[in-house]
Amino acid sequence: MRGVALALAVLVASLSAVPVTGQPGPGLIVQVVAEPPGLDLTATPASATAGVVFYNIQECLVKVDLHGKLVPWLAERWHTSDNRNYTFFLKRGVRFHNGRELKAADVKFVFERAMNPETKHPYPGYYAAIGDIIVKDDYTVTFALKSLNANFLLNLARQGSVIYPRETVDTLKSAPVGTGPFRFGEWVRGDRIVLTRNADYHVKGLPKLERVTFRFIADPNAALAALKAGDVDASLFGLGPEHVIDLQKDPRFAVIVGDTTNDVILAMNNSRKPFTDVRVRRAMTHAVDKQEVLKGAMFGMGRILGSNVDPLNPYFVDLAGAMPYDPDKARKLLAEAGYPRGFEAVLKVSPQYQYTVRSGEIIVSQLQKVGVRVRIEQIEWGQWLSRVWKDADYDLTIIGHAEAWDINNYANPKYYFRYDSPRFQELYQKSEVTLDDKARRDLYVQMQRMLVEDAPAVWLFMHPRLAVAKRGVQGIWKDLPLSANDLSEVSRTP
Amino acid sequence: MRRLVAFVVTLACVSALVFVAIRVLPGDPVLVMAGPEANPEVVARLRTAMGLDRPIPVQYVDWLVHAMRGELGVSLQYDVPVARLIASRLPVTLPLTAMAAVFMVVVALPLGLYAAVHARGPGDYLAMAVAQLGLAVPSFWAGLLLILLFSVQLGWFRSGGFEGWTQGVWLGVRALLLPAVALGLFQAAVLIRATRSALLEVLGEDYVRTARAKGVRDALVVVKHAFRNAMIPVITVAGLQLGQLIAGSIVLESVFALPGLGRLALGAITARDLPVVQGVTLFVASCVVAINFAVDLSYAWLDPRIRYE
Repeated sequence: MRGVALALAVLVASLSAVPVTGQPGPGLIVQVVAEPPGLDLTATPASATAGVVFYNIQECLVKVDLHGKLVPWLAERWHTSDNRNYTFFLKRGVRFHNGRELKAADVKFVFERAMNPETKHPYPGYYAAIGDIIVKDDYTVTFALKSLNANFLLNLARQGSVIYPRETVDTLKSAPVGTGPFRFGEWVRGDRIVLTRNADYHVKGLPKLERVTFRFIADPNAALAALKAGDVDASLFGLGPEHVIDLQKDPRFAVIVGDTTNDVILAMNNSRKPFTDVRVRRAMTHAVDKQEVLKGAMFGMGRILGSNVDPLNPYFVDLAGAMPYDPDKARKLLAEAGYPRGFEAVLKVSPQYQYTVRSGEIIVSQLQKVGVRVRIEQIEWGQWLSRVWKDADYDLTIIGHAEAWDINNYANPKYYFRYDSPRFQELYQKSEVTLDDKARRDLYVQMQRMLVEDAPAVWLFMHPRLAVAKRGVQGIWKDLPLSANDLSEVSRTP
Repeated sequence: MRRLVAFVVTLACVSALVFVAIRVLPGDPVLVMAGPEANPEVVARLRTAMGLDRPIPVQYVDWLVHAMRGELGVSLQYDVPVARLIASRLPVTLPLTAMAAVFMVVVALPLGLYAAVHARGPGDYLAMAVAQLGLAVPSFWAGLLLILLFSVQLGWFRSGGFEGWTQGVWLGVRALLLPAVALGLFQAAVLIRATRSALLEVLGEDYVRTARAKGVRDALVVVKHAFRNAMIPVITVAGLQLGQLIAGSIVLESVFALPGLGRLALGAITARDLPVVQGVTLFVASCVVAINFAVDLSYAWLDPRIRYE
């Protein structure tokens, strides 16, 4: 017995002797939910890839900054006189992580490769307007467009438009090279990705961290425990409102609640009865008490939406009150549409996104009050993509649309909403070729208002940015105008 | 020879079943990879590039021919050969399973033995209460409780993650200790009960009474005469449990964020990474069949009346 006690004492002593902290030095360990399916931004649209690579390892000619504004980046400025020919003047002395200087020929190579149908670029459409790319000299490159494109500069700032050296094409998927503040270090599959400081970074004084480790922890409870145990320093995406509430009370952590471009919607299949009738769709909107949904599903965090454009978009109009909660009106509209006793429907949600299930449960009870009897069917994410998104085999679903500038989905009658409005499509096409900011804004306002009236979906709320970091970690973006974790300016004090 | 044929047939059946099941289930690997924002042309292009536009039987035969040569294909998600991917996860899952198995045996055999010898005494009731608790607590919950106590409160262990064995054996063992305990807890509880009932049965046999009548010491009767005979059902249960430990690692590896085979399989199923799902299933099925084979052989060693031709 004494032997056992001694052995236990030795075990405890040896456990206490080894430090449990992650790693020494000014590094940062960040928890992310999903492991990237490869690190090549020109091959995958996955937000898990962007969360690690975009802005940290690789960058674009133009950047969307933390206020959502387009700013010059690898190009120090650009010029256009006719909105058809854009000339970019590259910043001098920018070096790739392999030591070679960024030249105009690299820019030409990158975009010609993206436009080439042989390359499996996820968004070749972003570059469809480009006719020719002319290298004027090592630091000057001109894009000649075939047609006007109001989103051209924005498209050059997207994650698929990162600039990399042509000689590293074959290793982009596993060891990307770029011009970013951090170099790719190692990828331990299933566990972590490590980035190290780029001492030659073209912005002086940055980055402030010596090393960043992205650890993949899918389970939110495990992530919470890792934060509390001090094994990770920050969680940028992974925690739900229920965890954040808990951490807000803990003086060791700073909780960041900000805006995102993620619009959470109750989508209706506009091609399936009874949702073909606009009165039914409006009734659905009037029957949902969004305030209660936000309170119950998100602990009140987030912002109520009334139409598709997110609050970080410069053309955002607050239409949250445009079609308010009014169950009496909902009942009346249903009766007018020929459903005085309501109807039955199935709501498909994927538990991978817990907020969709929680929102669904609240909405089902609200719809019940106007006679719409909804049964929730939980399906796995792979099935959701296949059955709901691809085949539009659904009545109702709840999901967050995270992409910025995604109003085009409503102009696509084949999209899973199956919303087919020639008038809306016309407005959208016009907005794509309207370059005058005021005129374009007017078109966006019209589109948002038209969506409210047509009610192809019920816009519920903007999913908030919920990030948590240990106190002393500074420089994490509050709002997320795009899917990226820019860690270049993040620092930490002991 | 007959056993070897049975081994191969079992594996062939398992692989065919999984191959068909994962393709018949709704969920398209290309859609999961490309994401909801991708356009249909991209999806179609990716599908052709992955060879997923061919009929299922053609895909299966192609996979089988390669598998027989030891080539399990390339992961759609990681772009790494599946065999290499599996091999890279074994340094986590094998020690984890082994440690859980050791925990299970070290806890269960003495407790089961004690409970049987002191049947209906306070010690027996206590041991059974412990077993009941082990059965009632789901492993992921036990894992979270262990993290809360030993990582968050006491700070003795890391809450998860695995740095690899290159940093030192002790660090590796330390990373796997809590998950191994959480993983082994349920199985230990089952084994305590199995050991107790098997031993109780043997202790009631005539030859035990004879040994006692001859004046053999109680401890010797239990350990030498009864325990060995009671081992056959216990080993059968333990063999089945080893297979379950591998399956249980899927949950625990997620809770402790360990880069093991279980998490690889889970991620692969979610991402519809077909070659990986197929490869991991084949590997795990081979392990389970091999364990059963070893259990069969151990019968002959424990009971000389059993002989395999």
